[in-house]
Amino acid sequence: MAVDDANDPNTVNFTNPLLDHMLSVPGLDLAVTSIDKLLTWASSNSLWMFPMATSCCGIEFMATNAARVDLDRMGSIVRATPRQCDVMVVAGTITVKMAPRVKKLWDQMPEPKWCIAMGSCAISGDFYRNIYSVVPGIDTFMPVDVYIPGCPPNPEQLMAGLLRLQEKIKAQRDGTWVPIETRPETEKMNVPAIHRIQDADRDPLLTPAQLDRSRSLGMNGAEHRAADEEGREEAEAYARACHLPTNVLRASRGGKPAEEES
Amino acid sequence: MTPELKAAIAALLAPSTDEGKEPLTAEDVVAFGMWVPASLHVALAELLKAHGFTLYVTVVASHWPGEKPSRRNPDPPPEHFQVATVLRNPTRGASTTFSWRVRLEPGQPLDTLFALFAGADWQEREQYDLVGVHFAGHPDLRRLMMPDDWEGHPLRRDYAIDTPHFPWR
Repeated sequence: MAVDDANDPNTVNFTNPLLDHMLSVPGLDLAVTSIDKLLTWASSNSLWMFPMATSCCGIEFMATNAARVDLDRMGSIVRATPRQCDVMVVAGTITVKMAPRVKKLWDQMPEPKWCIAMGSCAISGDFYRNIYSVVPGIDTFMPVDVYIPGCPPNPEQLMAGLLRLQEKIKAQRDGTWVPIETRPETEKMNVPAIHRIQDADRDPLLTPAQLDRSRSLGMNGAEHRAADEEGREEAEAYARACHLPTNVLRASRGGKPAEEES
Repeated sequence: MTPELKAAIAALLAPSTDEGKEPLTAEDVVAFGMWVPASLHVALAELLKAHGFTLYVTVVASHWPGEKPSRRNPDPPPEHFQVATVLRNPTRGASTTFSWRVRLEPGQPLDTLFALFAGADWQEREQYDLVGVHFAGHPDLRRLMMPDDWEGHPLRRDYAIDTPHFPWR
């Protein structure tokens, strides 16, 4: 191998910590694979999980790691610290008091990281969503990669969700566009006043004034949309002041782009 | 409850009987749900503790909003709070529960039982947090369950279910 020949002008000095380490191991420099495939294989098959288990979904989470559906087979080990984990499994109802803690733990996880919303409560708040202290879905304050509906989902569903996440990671690393997973919406449910982060309906330029206004409105969203229509000029001015593109502004919460308005 | 305790409670409460009513006697003392004026709240707890009621079980506050007069209820009571305190005598063979109720006007504080029972600390903090009853003399009357910056007291009857809260509602 001519990798260590620094004086040869024809040699491209490619350095990668993993490659260097592999070259130092006798015999491994003959591995017939590309390093990217190796990394994909490694990262998608060693998804260590952080159990953000706050209620009964956590029991199913424990059952998933027990002998019957053994998630260790997929390389998923549960670690009790966010600093060693790749996947946060939010299993249970998240209250308004708990949400900042969840976000803090999520921020402590090293990249790349993924999030699984396990169970109806983590997805939408479910039948607790109208209670004063419950967050209507964790995707209102953090990104979610895989939704696992159920109340609670059984261990096989969690395993299927993890395998789906592995497929998504593999596809993403291959360069395939992986669409954002749709939230399993339930009909006749109230729309939260603040949309989730990935939502097309959520204004990317949510101004402090709009957030303030949401505090004084009901949770059905109709008033919120009407009030947003009034505050659109204000939002555009805010976008210009922040040097953000204004064409991403929506004409309304219904999702029509600004160009179609005229 | 022993007759001595009943007599002692009657003697404590008799001077505060409303005018035009018969003074309280030992036969009137019941172990569940007696109405006690707020000024005698601590004195009654002291008396019960001296008679062996050393276990502070719970305190439950409830909000009663003022209602409009109706045909069925032509004279409804105005808005007020009720605070029920439950003590227990854990002695083997004489295990008894005693509870009493205190009626409070809106904004009226109730004296704390923290000096008598250390277990009253978090119980009273919880009632303050959720119902909004102030316990006068409590050393650390902070919110227990809701976030520190929460506005309002959620278990009040006039607390709307869709009360907007930043940033989720």
